[in-house]
Amino acid sequence: MAGIDRRVAAHFDWMLVALALALSAVGVLSVMSASYAGDKELMGPLVEHQILWVGIGTVLMFAVAMADYRTLSTYAYPLYLLTVVLLVAAAIIGHSAGGSRRWINLGAIKLEPSELAKIAIVLVLARHMRGEVPRGGWRLHQMIVPVLLLAIPVGLVLKQPDLGTALVLILVTATLVFVGGINWRIATAVALVALLAAPFGWHFLKPYQRERLVSFLNPHADPLGTGYHIIQSEIAIGAGGPWGKGLLQGTQARLNFLPEQTTDFIFSVYAEEFGFAGSLVLLGLYSAIVARGAWVARHARDRFGSLLAAGVVAILFWEASINIGMASGILPVVGIPLPMVSYGGSSLIAMMAGVGLLIGVSSRRHVF
Amino acid sequence: MKSAFEKRRERIGLLTVVLTGLFGLAAVRIVGLVVFDGPRLDSLARSEHTERLELGAVRGPIVDANGEPLALSALTQSVYARPRLLAASMTRHARARLAAALGLSEAQLGARLRTRSPFVFLARHVESAHARAALALGLNGIGAVSEYKRFYPEGNLAAGVVGMAGMDGQGLSGTELQYDRLIRGAPVALDLDHDALGRPIVDNPLDLRQSVPGDRIELTIDDRIQALAESALADEIQKSGAAGGSVIAVDPFSGAILALANLNARSDSVHSRLHDAAIQDAYEPGSTMKALLVSIALADGAIGAGEKIYCENGRYVVGRRTIHDDGRHGWLDLGGIIEVSSNIGAAKIALRLGAERYYRGLRAFGIGEPTGIDLPGAAAGLLRPPGTWREIDLATHGFGQGIAVTPLQLAMAYAAIANGGLLMRPYLVRAIYDASGRPVLIRSPQIRRRVVTPEVAHQVAMLLRGVVEGSDGTGRLARVDGFAVAGKTGTAQMVNPVTRSYFQNRLVASFIGFLPASDPRLLILVVLRNVGHGHFGGLVAAPVFSTVASGAIRALGIVAPQETPSYETASFVPFDGLKSLFSSKADANTDEATPAPATAAAPGITPDFRGLSLRRALLLARSRALVVKVRGSGFVRAQEPPAGASARDSSVSLTLGAPPAVKGSGARRTERRLASNRAAVGRRRLLQ
Repeated sequence: MAGIDRRVAAHFDWMLVALALALSAVGVLSVMSASYAGDKELMGPLVEHQILWVGIGTVLMFAVAMADYRTLSTYAYPLYLLTVVLLVAAAIIGHSAGGSRRWINLGAIKLEPSELAKIAIVLVLARHMRGEVPRGGWRLHQMIVPVLLLAIPVGLVLKQPDLGTALVLILVTATLVFVGGINWRIATAVALVALLAAPFGWHFLKPYQRERLVSFLNPHADPLGTGYHIIQSEIAIGAGGPWGKGLLQGTQARLNFLPEQTTDFIFSVYAEEFGFAGSLVLLGLYSAIVARGAWVARHARDRFGSLLAAGVVAILFWEASINIGMASGILPVVGIPLPMVSYGGSSLIAMMAGVGLLIGVSSRRHVF
Repeated sequence: MKSAFEKRRERIGLLTVVLTGLFGLAAVRIVGLVVFDGPRLDSLARSEHTERLELGAVRGPIVDANGEPLALSALTQSVYARPRLLAASMTRHARARLAAALGLSEAQLGARLRTRSPFVFLARHVESAHARAALALGLNGIGAVSEYKRFYPEGNLAAGVVGMAGMDGQGLSGTELQYDRLIRGAPVALDLDHDALGRPIVDNPLDLRQSVPGDRIELTIDDRIQALAESALADEIQKSGAAGGSVIAVDPFSGAILALANLNARSDSVHSRLHDAAIQDAYEPGSTMKALLVSIALADGAIGAGEKIYCENGRYVVGRRTIHDDGRHGWLDLGGIIEVSSNIGAAKIALRLGAERYYRGLRAFGIGEPTGIDLPGAAAGLLRPPGTWREIDLATHGFGQGIAVTPLQLAMAYAAIANGGLLMRPYLVRAIYDASGRPVLIRSPQIRRRVVTPEVAHQVAMLLRGVVEGSDGTGRLARVDGFAVAGKTGTAQMVNPVTRSYFQNRLVASFIGFLPASDPRLLILVVLRNVGHGHFGGLVAAPVFSTVASGAIRALGIVAPQETPSYETASFVPFDGLKSLFSSKADANTDEATPAPATAAAPGITPDFRGLSLRRALLLARSRALVVKVRGSGFVRAQEPPAGASARDSSVSLTLGAPPAVKGSGARRTERRLASNRAAVGRRRLLQ
């Protein structure tokens, strides 16, 4: 980190910086809308926090980008270990809210270790799979370690319980293993087995999770109960119309009809006020950052960087698509934040750090 | 063979394409929500966070033909709560005090607050002191709003005609319902925003300023005739033991209804506002039908004007039944049949006429069809098609058995006889004005059809004079001093709806008549329901007619025509032609009758105010330059100094009270009767 590499500065990926800051700005606006109560001043405490975190995240993003990501590979396992310890700590001494014990109270702020786990798993898997791929791709037995590395945090996260984060961890791992070079036939077989086994997963779901699935299939069966989230979210999106009601003009969020409107359902708040046009812009921003990230993954100068980039992109992509899919009613309700937009420091700072990794990889694609 | 590096790049590219497709899917879904479901979802959003609250405008007044208000609206306070907001701030103690302030029990208060609605009225139309007491508790979520309450300044006067309006100012019956759309005005709509927990966001100040007041309805009802009709009817109901009765007074030339009274011996004021027997209940008209029969037969030519009919000495067998008369009559002319009300004579005329022709004639008179009056719920009566009539049915229909009419139907049929043969459409509202005084509706009389020729109508009217004026006439008690009256009595048995046969000792006694007979200005029908045996129409209903008619001609300023017949010569008064019939029609339509205050006392003598409405009392006082002190509301019940005393200090104090009701004190009714009698004396003196 001593001194900034001239070639890094020359190829610094400002496009990713711009995309990350644009997404954060959408986030601040949406948090403002979601917490605006009509009569109070615009800047509620939530907006101030979010701006503060965008600031911290931006600094961290540049710091991570400046650091040579290859040196990070040495910290991969310790970071992973630290995350696991924090997850265990959260399970023991954690602060619980909404029936879930997933925060560690650090006085002024509450840390959510499961958000760090997403970055940690990307790092550790990229570190593990950075070696050359054998001819024909990885075999099943070579997947044991990655699966174990995944199973520990997933188990701890499910214990909280936080199905959404567990799902993201699994999907990100699957993406990395696929990109990392698993044997085609094994990949197909695993995917098939997973699909066939999915119905049996029903037995492992908690009652409230089962209700969510049922209400996803038919939200109007219980419009004031389990179907409420989906219906209210669809109402907000539909009521927004093509051009939206305008900033702070949305009624559904302001009048508290939307559940979890600053976090999981922030997309509906945004869609009501900025309409379909605004939604397209947001989807465009995500597509751009995902596409740029994928481009970085393809053009990274080494496997570690490539997998790192692929992992960060996978987090961004899966979280964004599941969250928007859930808000618009094409996926069942599951608690996943909209990356870089939802209110929440841990998630935002972890994602900014992740984008920092992307920038680092991108900026060093010509450095050998 | 591609390198692992190449493969990785391929896989990333593949993944990017597939996954970006997922974003596309989301975009498509959002388009669907916005484009296809957008309007529906938008209205869902609106409906879940707004609540529309409509507060009524001030209802227009209903006034009688002289401008006396019969229904008014007054501003009152209504206390409301926002239950969810209130729940947060309400303690046990506060609940008790709130209940006490509103005059509710705690249980009642609790029941009203147990609602999902974000807005609930706790007490409607309370005095402002109550509302202030409730607001003074300073509870968050309690408020008061000004609302109009309907009240009826003349009490139960013309209750069935005026009808009733509900708590939210909606017409429920009578004129209040018939003209509700116009009386109602334009209400204020408030859209209250509230959040998911029911907390209002925009706390609109609730006021009624933007509303448009309702229209003013002017009835054809004359409150003086109406009050007289109600008090005379009440007296007779009490005297005869009838279960109830109706009086209709109508201008036969225009169809304007001057009084429409319904009273029941046992019924509350709400019932009398909801039910109007005179237009909603049918009864068997009995002998009053004979005038229609004779009109139809004369018009048809089935019988000649001078023809005589043998009345079988009181017993006449038709099929297996025997028809009786009250007396043994031999040969009678049409006048005789009407005068003594011979059933046998009527039966023979009906049989000669035949079912089909009699039926068509009755239909022409409006029997069996609604009268078209502007009140809701009018009945059509009962007139079976002639194909179903047996011979005995035809015979008994001739004297009004087996046919059911509403009082108003019969009144309008007789009005056709009185006015020279035209069936008029009866009406109760003569004009409607909007709040700024612009006329919305000015009613002109409406002819339904010509029923009989003027000649026939006049012939029958002449026959009907014999009923009242003839020495054997059944309607002698209907006489009115100084006026020739034409009319017909009727006494019919009531039908037992259970056995479908007649009650032996339950009668409907009625009298219908018009005056002055040669130039009718006023037609009055009196029906007394469920009187005991022996209470014939001529005995119980005719005196009511006389009382009401006497008062009404004074109120309307009707002057007896030049002829002033004596009772002995009445039947020989010559036919005075169509000219007078139709010239007086024009007079009746202009409704020129502006009554002079009924007083004959000389200046310096205190006039008699008793029985007058406040407005009329003030008019009278002004004409005498008297200063008036008023207590109470309604009609003048007592005065100081008394009538006839010299007005020393040029002031008079009046005590007002409720208008007469069935259950009212007898003394008050007598007082009113006396007042009208005194007025009658005064009037006659003026005429002489």
